[in-house]
Amino acid sequence: MKNHPSLTYKDYFHIPHDELQKILNIALSRGGDFSEIFLEYKIYNLINMEEDIIKETAESISLGLGIRVLSGEKTGYGYTNDLSFEKIKKAALTAASIASNHSKRKISPLSSTPIHHNFYPVKRPVHKEKLEEKITLVKKAYLSAQSFDPKIKKVKASFIDLIQYILIVNSDGLMASDVRPLAKLVCVAIGEKEGKREAGFSGGGGRIGIEYFIDTLTPEEIGREAAKEALNLLDAVEPPAGEMPVVLSPGHSGVLVHEAVGHLLEADFNRKKTSIFWDKMGKKVAASQVTIFDDPTIPYFRGSYNIDDEGTAPKKTPLIEKGIMTGMLQDRLSAKLMNKELTGHGRRQDYASIPIPRMSNTYIDKGEYTPEEIIKSVKRGFYASQYQGGQVEDSGKFTFSVSSGFLIEEGKLTTPVKQATLIGTNIGVLKNIEMIGSDLEFGLQTGTCGKEGQEIPVADGCPTIKISKMTVGGLK
Amino acid sequence: MRDKANSEKIRELAESLVAFAKAKGADEVEISIFDGYEFGVDVRMGEIENLLEAGSRLFSSRVIKDKKTAFSTSSDLSRETLQKLLENSIKRASLANPDEFSGLPPLMRKKIDILSLKLFDPEIPELDSKRKIALAKETEKIALEDKRISNSHGASFGTREIKTFFANSNGFLQEYVQTFCSLSLGIQAGGTDSKVEDYWFSAKTHFKDLETPEQIAKKAIERTVRQLNPRKIKTQIVPVIFEPLMTSWLLGFLFACVSGVSIYQKTSFLTNKLGERIGNERITVYDDGLIPTALGTRPFDAEGVPCQKTQVIDKGILKNYLCNTYAARKLKLRSTGNSSGVGVSPNNFYLEPGETPPKKILTSLEKGLILIKTIGHGLNPVTGDISRGAFGLWVEKGEIAYPVSEITISGNLGEILKKTDIVGNDLEFRSPVPGPTIKVQEMTVAGK
Repeated sequence: MKNHPSLTYKDYFHIPHDELQKILNIALSRGGDFSEIFLEYKIYNLINMEEDIIKETAESISLGLGIRVLSGEKTGYGYTNDLSFEKIKKAALTAASIASNHSKRKISPLSSTPIHHNFYPVKRPVHKEKLEEKITLVKKAYLSAQSFDPKIKKVKASFIDLIQYILIVNSDGLMASDVRPLAKLVCVAIGEKEGKREAGFSGGGGRIGIEYFIDTLTPEEIGREAAKEALNLLDAVEPPAGEMPVVLSPGHSGVLVHEAVGHLLEADFNRKKTSIFWDKMGKKVAASQVTIFDDPTIPYFRGSYNIDDEGTAPKKTPLIEKGIMTGMLQDRLSAKLMNKELTGHGRRQDYASIPIPRMSNTYIDKGEYTPEEIIKSVKRGFYASQYQGGQVEDSGKFTFSVSSGFLIEEGKLTTPVKQATLIGTNIGVLKNIEMIGSDLEFGLQTGTCGKEGQEIPVADGCPTIKISKMTVGGLK
Repeated sequence: MRDKANSEKIRELAESLVAFAKAKGADEVEISIFDGYEFGVDVRMGEIENLLEAGSRLFSSRVIKDKKTAFSTSSDLSRETLQKLLENSIKRASLANPDEFSGLPPLMRKKIDILSLKLFDPEIPELDSKRKIALAKETEKIALEDKRISNSHGASFGTREIKTFFANSNGFLQEYVQTFCSLSLGIQAGGTDSKVEDYWFSAKTHFKDLETPEQIAKKAIERTVRQLNPRKIKTQIVPVIFEPLMTSWLLGFLFACVSGVSIYQKTSFLTNKLGERIGNERITVYDDGLIPTALGTRPFDAEGVPCQKTQVIDKGILKNYLCNTYAARKLKLRSTGNSSGVGVSPNNFYLEPGETPPKKILTSLEKGLILIKTIGHGLNPVTGDISRGAFGLWVEKGEIAYPVSEITISGNLGEILKKTDIVGNDLEFRSPVPGPTIKVQEMTVAGK
């Protein structure tokens, strides 16, 4: 509750109150049910270190405004990065062109929506730190990876941070703002042995202050983890291929939840009936110990926000409870058309993008088994440790790419394995979840999710999980 | 962006910012300004879903002082903001380390005749909104009339016009304008629990070259329904036919591995392989930035280096890495006109077609897989390893037997370049990284 930034739109966007109202009116001049202005100002910084030098830095400014008009199921959208009244008016007229009924809707007077929470209570805002401070972090991670082992031949480290100011006003009278910090420190280490090369990756961050890199995860740890993974892969063998029991590591395996379940519970795919979940609300879709949440309110997390990009206060949203589908991720358009409550999951990449239902921080809730019990129960199988990413089709078919893992033999993790692919259908995998661990963790706070060309920060997590059978793709 | 006075203003802004940065102490400076306009319409179930139209601009700069580099970009084009950004860049540069390889390219005498590249289609800015919307509606309608199609992701039509202004402190000052248009459709077939889906698209610089709604709908239908009722297959090693879109995907990965940046960073398995045999005699690859009307064509790259045609692989021998100025200096090579700003990007990077028609490739296959779609990540440029989720068509005795899903394909790009035993004659410049159908002798296909 403390430290909440007392931003007013005047500080960042020089558009007077009455002009905003005028624009909302222009946007509804041809009819339509709803109009909205999204103003964004974002400053982004990047530092790259490679070949032992700070090679380059970059600064980016993004300033612009998007105007949306909803008319039934239709959306009209215009945007501009020239904030003169004439250009804004033009964008508003573009958005207005979607509507063609003449019933004129009245604009409610704008009133500031107070927010009583702050999910990014940072102590030392990253965007206010000196560049030198951030360069020191990059160097520490770099040197830590480089000095970890003589087999580490090459390192790259980067620090990326941004501060995003947004203001949203709409024809319902909503006026809400947010100031969102975001930062990450990432490191890639390349190891070499007997002519073979492998790359390891690690990183951390979130909607954090610079203190995170002292209190929570140090740059040295990030460097070491990247180096360790590269060395581990140098000794790794080709993965096995075929159908077998698969154990998912805690934290990193959250990408499975994100891909296999989260996307298909975004309301737009269900409203359009393209998701296989569209007719499964209230039905059993997973083994009964499976409970899945999406929670944009976890402090400091990459996927968190005080308001979503439509100005809605977000809620921790259950998606699957004890194996039953109980929820979906809603934005304003889908919630209205489906006659559902808003959940605060309308997100957009930037002012040039139309908001759509998106995930924030998605996870499988913890179960009752210890991770040891789970691994011990497998005679021969595959343990998936780290991932490069994943992808899903609306039809429920998904894959994810495992960058490193282990063979499980007689209940023990044995040989390290590299570059495998897991593939399946989401309902198949959800039903084949056999054991869930008590060790809920979240993956690296560095992830980005793409949908319809829009990239947004997300996080995901899960405990150790055993899937009774799954197809592993490999060379053997 | 269409009026001349506006262009005049932007040109003047770019030039004056170069002078400003020099006056503030920069040794070298490079400024790009993009002035763009976009239109997009998404149609679903016969109705407009989204309609978007906007003009936008972007500024981008590189400043070098004492061999130290700083970049900046901005969507706010006020002179005040941009001057502030350039001043910040000069300050930030002082905190980086000197790098002897940094610096702008020297001014080159070679000049490309921009008009001969045919990058601008005057028909595109004149297209009527109603016509654009009708094209998307028509495309979806044809597909929905087919009883096998059960749902639609929608059809989209979009156009873009971009004017690029480029100025640097070596006296380079040029501009060019490009147009693009695209039409696409995504559909589903089958019931809720047996859904299959696919899409088709056409993207061109000239409207008259765009595929018709009928062509796009037919192709999307064919690609979707052929996946209905898939089977699982056993894990095995078999020959694999790559459809052109799949060859494109493979070429995208090859580009990452021959990019000068990954070579000097030693993150490619093709490091130190120049002049060596990396594939068989069927593999010839070019990067050509000067093919008239092609999607990846441009007169000069993001550093003002004129584009060219570069032979990358000649009958299996690795001839050139694709470089920007920085990578070229690091590798003691010459820039190939592939700068994307910070890194490198393909111009038109393609595999030269062979002589075999795709039908013949199929009939020659006794048993194997046609790869039609991959999903996921699973590409490792350090090793060349590939591992992806895949969809395919199972082939027996030269004929398609049934679709397969829930499989993965694994292999290694280095091996694929050696084991490609047929290259098809069906190269079409559908994307900046196009390729024909190819057949690879063997890959691991993992199933149950």
